[in-house]
Amino acid sequence: MTGELIYEVKNVSKRYGSVVALDGASLKLHAGEVIGLVGDNGAGKSTLVKVLSGAHKSDGGQIFLDGVERTWESPRDALEAGVETLYQDSGLAPHLTVSENVFLGREKTVGGFFGWLGFLAKKQMNVEAQQDLEKVGIAFPSANRPISQLSGGQRQAVAIGRAVSWARKVIILDEPTNHLGARQAGEVLQIIRAAKAKGLGVIFISHTLPHVLEVTDRIVVLRLGRIVKDTPTAEYNVDTLLGTITGTIQTIKVEGD
Amino acid sequence: MTDSKLANQAAPKGFNWKPLVTNQSSILIAVILLLAGVFSAGSYGSFWDVSVFNNILTDWGLIVLLAVGQTFVVISGGIDLSVGSTVSLSGVVAGVVMVNWMHLDLNVKNEAAIAPLLLALLICIATGVAVGLLNAFLVNIVGIVPFIATLATLGGGAGLAIIWSGGMPLQGPNFYGLVNPINLGGIDFSPISFAVLLVGIIVTVAGLFLHKARFGLYTYAIGSNAFAAKAAGISVKRHLTWVYVVSGALSGIAGMYAYTRLGSGSPSSGTGLELQAIAAVVIGGTSLMGGSGKMLGTILGAFLLYEVQSGLLMVGMDPNWKQVIVAIMIAGAVGIQGFNFSQRRK
Repeated sequence: MTGELIYEVKNVSKRYGSVVALDGASLKLHAGEVIGLVGDNGAGKSTLVKVLSGAHKSDGGQIFLDGVERTWESPRDALEAGVETLYQDSGLAPHLTVSENVFLGREKTVGGFFGWLGFLAKKQMNVEAQQDLEKVGIAFPSANRPISQLSGGQRQAVAIGRAVSWARKVIILDEPTNHLGARQAGEVLQIIRAAKAKGLGVIFISHTLPHVLEVTDRIVVLRLGRIVKDTPTAEYNVDTLLGTITGTIQTIKVEGD
Repeated sequence: MTDSKLANQAAPKGFNWKPLVTNQSSILIAVILLLAGVFSAGSYGSFWDVSVFNNILTDWGLIVLLAVGQTFVVISGGIDLSVGSTVSLSGVVAGVVMVNWMHLDLNVKNEAAIAPLLLALLICIATGVAVGLLNAFLVNIVGIVPFIATLATLGGGAGLAIIWSGGMPLQGPNFYGLVNPINLGGIDFSPISFAVLLVGIIVTVAGLFLHKARFGLYTYAIGSNAFAAKAAGISVKRHLTWVYVVSGALSGIAGMYAYTRLGSGSPSSGTGLELQAIAAVVIGGTSLMGGSGKMLGTILGAFLLYEVQSGLLMVGMDPNWKQVIVAIMIAGAVGIQGFNFSQRRK
């Protein structure tokens, strides 16, 4: 069902002062695979996301994309390599419009001298943002409305639509179903399935365990900065997954170690 | 996805004039016209004298140069307090070079002064760029908040201006025709002067870059959510460096503007102007929180500031009231912003 190995981190660590946020975490992601990354608050999920997306540099460890070792000096490096990330709650600029957010960092300019000066093709971006988001199946109002005028669910939809429409290899979604009602959350899960069908590797981070169980192929459990379990989703139900996250169920063996 | 289709149908069509004329700009235009009427009546019509308008426009031009740069800085989420002392410092540096080093004095006049004044302009811009780079270094590399970083360069710049000038204006080459109303071949363009015309061009170009180009988009994005800007692949530190350099360069041009008016590089020519520039930006509707603001608002804010200051003198009010009135205007502008903000959040 899943394709070849596309994204891999080996033994990454990250400290913030004396706090060890990540302690030798390793992870493999295949094309067309959805993995769930779960853990309690403070387990290191967001730190791992930031290392994977280039927002933070790890203190140690290696990152491989398509088998080639890479270092992300900034998010731009990861974006250009085809790794898109939806950050929890903070990925959009509220004063900018929908299409400005979709195209931020990858703007379309007008042709000729004015394009060289950075003058923007705003109408073209509005039209294309609208098309891209519709293609992804995203509910959103007009592309030239500021994000601050949208509801929490609509904002989340724009953020997901941006990530999915730009992603070429890997898409990392940190709590994409936050702020969403049941129907909209269902739509997000549908978008994840569509991304998987396109052959993208998806990393799905969520506290909503039924969503994780529903959409993922494999679940990676983080606790106190360490990956304590990495097994197929079919081996879990909500209770055993919760037990593994909180540590009430002992985890002896870590697959892939 | 049904609600998206409904929302799309309800989206406004046709010419989108809102980015050009915000509500705050409409309010400002109304206030400017209303006050023009009041001052006109109170001064028995002499408010409309071209010399009064030339004065308003000339004062306006100096502040607009600073306020344009300040608009970029404030939208990016920062503040630049150093602009006032950069006006003094750049004028003094230009004066030192022309008077002390090249031994050109105030007898170099009019057309003969054009070449030295162009050199002086380049020196002023270079001085402003240097201050901008220092501000960017303090903010980006040392990690000092912009308010404190530029407070330091404000004090340092003012000090150097006094030391290098010896505390006295350096009188050098001059061409007052540049700041007087243009009179070309008998056609009087009052109250427009060459200097004001130049400011108009700079403002237009700056406005286009703020509202239509990538430079402006990144400025808004960083002020709105710096993490989102970084995550989208924008080099936030590099862009902020450019923003402070633009503000510094415009302050340098303002330094040359002040020099041209006075015919000298004075260590006090920019004293206190940073507060006037920030007042113009804030009255123009730009939020000190960053992420929002309009160039047109800044220009109208600066005009209103000088209309009020000139108008009050024309109607015979004690000039000491000026500061009180400006304070009330700032409080009023920020109050309107806060009111709009709380309305939107409901």
